[in-house]
Amino acid sequence: MKKHVLIATTLALSSTMSFGAGYQLNLQGLRQMAMGGSGTAVPWDMSTIFYNPGGMTAMDHWQIYGGAAFVMPRSKYVESPTGTYEAETQSQTFVPFSIYAGGPTSWRSPVSIGVGIYTPFGNGVKWDDNWRGRYVSQESYLRTIFIQPTVSYKFNEIVSAGIGLIYATGRVEFRRALPITDENGVDGSAELAGNGHGFGLNAGVHINASEKVQIGFNFRSKVKMDVDRGYASFTVPSSLQTAFPYTAFSTSLPMPMVTSLGIGYAVNECLTLQGDINITGWSAFNSLNIAYENNTPQLQDQNSERNYRNTIALRAGGHYTVSDRIAVMAGAAFDPSPVRDGYVSPELPDANRGILSAGLTYKAFERWTVMGALEFVSSIQRESSFDEGGFKGRYQTKAFAPGIGISYDF
Amino acid sequence: MKKLYIFCLAASGLTACKPNLEPEKPEAGQLSLERYLAVGDAFTAGFSDGALTKTGQNFSYPNMLAEQFGLVGGGEFKQPLLPGDNGYPVPKKVLAVRQGPCDTNASLRIVDYPGALDSINSSNSIAINGPFNNTAIPGIRAVDYIKAGYGENNRFSRRFFATFSGRPIDEVVRINPSFFSVWIGNNDVLDYAVNGGKESPKPFSSVTEFAAAYDSVLSMLIKKGAKGVAMNIPDVTTMPFFTALPAQVVNLTRRQADELNATNTMTFVRFNEGPNYPVILDGTDLRLLVKGEMVLLSLPIDSVKCAGWGTKKPIPGQYILTLEEIAAVNATLTEYNNIIRAASKAKNIAMVDMFTYFRSVSIPGTPYNGINYTANLVNGSFYSLDGIHPSARGYALVANRIIQEINLFYGSKISSVDANKYPGVEYP
Repeated sequence: MKKHVLIATTLALSSTMSFGAGYQLNLQGLRQMAMGGSGTAVPWDMSTIFYNPGGMTAMDHWQIYGGAAFVMPRSKYVESPTGTYEAETQSQTFVPFSIYAGGPTSWRSPVSIGVGIYTPFGNGVKWDDNWRGRYVSQESYLRTIFIQPTVSYKFNEIVSAGIGLIYATGRVEFRRALPITDENGVDGSAELAGNGHGFGLNAGVHINASEKVQIGFNFRSKVKMDVDRGYASFTVPSSLQTAFPYTAFSTSLPMPMVTSLGIGYAVNECLTLQGDINITGWSAFNSLNIAYENNTPQLQDQNSERNYRNTIALRAGGHYTVSDRIAVMAGAAFDPSPVRDGYVSPELPDANRGILSAGLTYKAFERWTVMGALEFVSSIQRESSFDEGGFKGRYQTKAFAPGIGISYDF
Repeated sequence: MKKLYIFCLAASGLTACKPNLEPEKPEAGQLSLERYLAVGDAFTAGFSDGALTKTGQNFSYPNMLAEQFGLVGGGEFKQPLLPGDNGYPVPKKVLAVRQGPCDTNASLRIVDYPGALDSINSSNSIAINGPFNNTAIPGIRAVDYIKAGYGENNRFSRRFFATFSGRPIDEVVRINPSFFSVWIGNNDVLDYAVNGGKESPKPFSSVTEFAAAYDSVLSMLIKKGAKGVAMNIPDVTTMPFFTALPAQVVNLTRRQADELNATNTMTFVRFNEGPNYPVILDGTDLRLLVKGEMVLLSLPIDSVKCAGWGTKKPIPGQYILTLEEIAAVNATLTEYNNIIRAASKAKNIAMVDMFTYFRSVSIPGTPYNGINYTANLVNGSFYSLDGIHPSARGYALVANRIIQEINLFYGSKISSVDANKYPGVEYP
């Protein structure tokens, strides 16, 4: 019955986690990660292909850039209002990554081109198989990889703009127990997994407002990740096997629009401060609909309300150049949850998050720069329920993420 | 230097990133739960799947309550456990794939447990191990609690009563409770309803008798200052025993319908292809069942399929609740529940509105910890296979409803039962 292994190989360059609020990640650049995830205004390096394609022309040479974060999230559930029951998600390490290459088409050309490959959305939560919420979720994963060829044009010394087309590919996996017990008292189970893809765009404008002030505007469109043909397999008692056939399913999951406005201010030669406002169009995640190819009276299509709301996240950080070779960074962010009360499921136990981060870059050689960053995320304790499944409790998520990266300047 | 700095940060991060969330400790508040007494009938005994078993007793809602009480000062909870697990006095119901004599295909059906019974020694007295905390007696009515000598005539009370001459209420308070739950009165209405109403050998208890018995029971329970909780009677006609079979219980092919119509001598009936209302015997009246009337789960469905029940022969009234009988059930139930409400108010104890709760399971259903509980037989999860008594998980929901009311009334913070810990209906 099991035609695919659900628990995909660990590590590798997967992009899974529950880190940013909702299933958004903000780890596409090491310097930006170290500055609370801000980065729309100041084009520090080629990761601006993600943060603001308009900033690409600010770099007068080609750069290849690669980075990865090692994210270790833990969520805890306790029963409420009182009780003794508690459960924690299993410890996992996820590795979102980003690779960028870009630069001007020729010496002093106003046109820059480049490509970015990065992982802007993801989620991964694994509870014990026998835990109290097993009929809601045992394990869920979302992995995405975005590939973005980009072009940027410098109109004058002040304004430049860029646009990239996004091809997105991803995978969703979901596993839960079914409250259908066999003669030995063993629960049934449902496992769904499928690959999806979608398209979108990433556009931005970069403005050198003055000697000291830079302004960035970035629009990353919604990407509708369509899973046209996933597979669902059910483990049920033998008398119900025809009622729960091995079947294909289709679904779609929105990767929401993100609109950002950023400002950067050079306090002096060494210190630059920057801040971002991100508006994320989470209201696009209205419901999760799963349509099975083979319906039976027992196996009907599922429509599950999500009803997410748009969020506004605030991010700020500072960059201090210590020497020709060394710079240090620090930052903080507040990332509110798009999930409303009544919709907080253990599949994604989301809550408002506070983020603290720091980082360091070291120019090891003439052309090589090594970057390191650390990020701490803590959600505010949240007491809420998943009304559809009648599941409630208090949750908290904390995560720790070291990141490393390297860039090469031509 | 720099490396050291990063490692220090990393090390502190690893400990800081564990959530420091703790559940809130439950509290008993003003309640003393040291000696908890459960008074009741089959529902309180843990009766499930049409029989009493040791497992069912362990999954009784009082046992679940006692487990939660144990976290806040509750004491030992003794139940008069049966030795066996396959049903007493009759075999329990199980699901099996079976082909009836007139079925073309085998299908999932509710059948009697096919193995040997393990009820040997079940009738032996275990009173010497008493007194017991769960004194539930399957079959007992509210009015029986004040009938001296009743204990000897019920096989369940005979197992654990120390003496038989007194009234059951005198016998069950032996543990001198500090807290009690009382859920009686169900059989005063079910005896009538499950046996087809006016065809039942056991009519309703009279309302005055009920009121007097209920008052005596509560007075006896609170006599030494115990606090407690009373449950009223569920909305019985929303139970699957009454709703699982459709009123149009006769299913005919075109050919069967034509044949019946050709030979049929009853002028008031003409059968059609598909579902049909059956012919029934209502008192001495031969008539068709009408919309809103109920076919009981006790109906031997093979007799409908093979022996012409409902088509050539009327379905006996004991398997039917007519509109008139349903109205009688509801009216009586309302009167009993008014008595229960007034009595618990007068005695200042908590009361759980099970009438409304069982109804809410029927319409629209209750999701809890990922399971959508409904009043569907088998896949609704709430009821056991007898269609009247809850499953283990159903009893857990009942326990949680009671805890909710206790907490509300007495200001305690007793935590709820994890229903998913208990088994669901088992499929072959």
